[in-house]
Amino acid sequence: MDIINNLVKNLGDGIAAGIYGALGQGLAADILIMVIAAIAVFAVASGGFAGLTYAERKIVARIQDRVGPNQAGPYGILQPIADAVKLFTKEDTTPAEADFWVYHLAPIIVAVFATLTFTVVPFAPGVVGTNLNIGAFYIIAIGSASTIAILMAGWGSNNKYSLLGAFRTVAQLVGYEVPMLLNMLPVIMLTGSMSLVDIIERQAGWNGSWGLPFIVILPLSGLAFLISGIAETGRSPFDLLEAESEIVAGFHVEYSGMKFGLIMMGEYMNALGVAVMFSVLFLGGYAGPILPPYLWLVLKAFGVFLVLMWLRGTLPRVRIDQLLNMNWKFFVPLSVVNLILVMILGKVFVSDPALFKANGGILIQPLAQALIMGASSFALLIIALAIVTRRVRKDRMAEAAILLQRRETNQQIAASVH
Amino acid sequence: MTVAQIVFILLTIVGLGAAFLVVTTRNLFHAALYLIASFFAVSGFYVLLEAGFFAAAQFLVYIGAISILFIFATMLTRTVRGMVPRNSQWQAALFIAVVLFIAMVAMFSPISFSLPTRPDRTFGGVDWQFAEVPGKPGVLRSVPDSSILDFGRALADLNQYGIALLLSGVLLLIGMIGAIWVARERKPREILAERARMAAEEAAEAARQSVGAKIPDVVVAHDSHH
Repeated sequence: MDIINNLVKNLGDGIAAGIYGALGQGLAADILIMVIAAIAVFAVASGGFAGLTYAERKIVARIQDRVGPNQAGPYGILQPIADAVKLFTKEDTTPAEADFWVYHLAPIIVAVFATLTFTVVPFAPGVVGTNLNIGAFYIIAIGSASTIAILMAGWGSNNKYSLLGAFRTVAQLVGYEVPMLLNMLPVIMLTGSMSLVDIIERQAGWNGSWGLPFIVILPLSGLAFLISGIAETGRSPFDLLEAESEIVAGFHVEYSGMKFGLIMMGEYMNALGVAVMFSVLFLGGYAGPILPPYLWLVLKAFGVFLVLMWLRGTLPRVRIDQLLNMNWKFFVPLSVVNLILVMILGKVFVSDPALFKANGGILIQPLAQALIMGASSFALLIIALAIVTRRVRKDRMAEAAILLQRRETNQQIAASVH
Repeated sequence: MTVAQIVFILLTIVGLGAAFLVVTTRNLFHAALYLIASFFAVSGFYVLLEAGFFAAAQFLVYIGAISILFIFATMLTRTVRGMVPRNSQWQAALFIAVVLFIAMVAMFSPISFSLPTRPDRTFGGVDWQFAEVPGKPGVLRSVPDSSILDFGRALADLNQYGIALLLSGVLLLIGMIGAIWVARERKPREILAERARMAAEEAAEAARQSVGAKIPDVVVAHDSHH
């Protein structure tokens, strides 16, 4: 059992030992091992990209009562390879008035920073690129760079539609970074560390007795993190930066061939990164019974990605004002209230005897603490939704009343004219 | 030369070169991008100093937020290319920059160009970076970084930086209130009056520009002699 569970780690250790045996301990061997590890992380990310494009096309097609790709290979399974061949052989055009360096650098930056996310993700115990002590913060910081790349693409193309797409990006991506960070904070507070390994271990052994994912303890944070994560990656229903019917394809309208492929790759990797981050932060990452850990992470991440596909296949696009109102008037205040709630509950109900001795409060069992936090977070979610629903209904009623009045006035005018 | 020294030299070249290009390039958008490259190099310095938290904070705040605002403002200006990279205040700015630079060199003197050595990771007989979590074979624990803890305690401690933190919080609040006031809902009459005022100001500016480009320089030179 241990052999299967530690398969990936032992494989990596074996390769490292082989290289050290051949080259001896030294800088050259270290660099070679790092390069191989970097290629492995990139292979996981880009393999996920290729698989997900196929899966998404097939599943969204099924949701929308279509067939999807079915020509290349059995069930169209070779479609990603056909796509790659097509992208590589397409003519690579550059607009005549494009800003040369900015235009050509943008897709590379998109793809590079999307891949960098995966360097801190723990795939299995002991299998992690680097166990940074600021892992969660690092991912947010790296994610903010994709905004720059999209702005570069939008500006460098020298196209009005591209520029409009880039403008929308700034409003959306910068705005949704705030709730994403605010909803990551409760998890970091309850763990006491920003390292993703520590966060998983905290969920795997809730105070050493049994596992409890954070989605149970912090349902509100989990939901808000997932929604702002989708908005952050610009996927449907938040795909305003590439709304086909409004601004053609947004910031990447001028890109063709493999440069377009790189932008597409960056987008899918960002979406996959959000799915993986959600699995790690709220679903317990690689922790799980029976199955080996690396399979658990893949299963959880794919499950989250299925939700993203489901949303993409069924929901209409939101308007820009709805998007920004929802962020600044709903998610941000709600996240702040939730954060304060978690802070107060964490101080009042203490499950750690050492903390109780130091700070006081009410000493209770870890399970009771988790239940209290989960119940209050869920209650806050219900209250917030109730308030918003009532408020929105009131607004809609007022709007309908105005419309009705206008129509009556028009009819009166029409009647008086005839 | 060690690897850290090579990285230090590369970062210095990138940072200073980009900073130089920021003030010399005639394309505003390129200047903003060079500024990002310069910020990136500074973030690299933090990594070199093993202050990962500050590196990520530099990246998030300066590259992820402030630069984007710069670029956004740049895109809204009318002439981006072919701008003269100087305005009427360049002499005053040069003077302040030189004074600040001299003050900084004086603060850090005697000038030493030796690089920070890598801190000892073996602490209490344990190699922390590769230490495993007790009772969990194969699970690596994160490098214990006391700098974040110290940073947090220093910020919360009223005897250290507590007052500064509160003051910056007040400043941010003032900024937010100001932003809301600027973006407040206005009556159409107010908006029209404001537009008329702005048009008048622009016309006055255009008239001043057409008289001659030398005038602002002369005015500033006169001011700096006071």
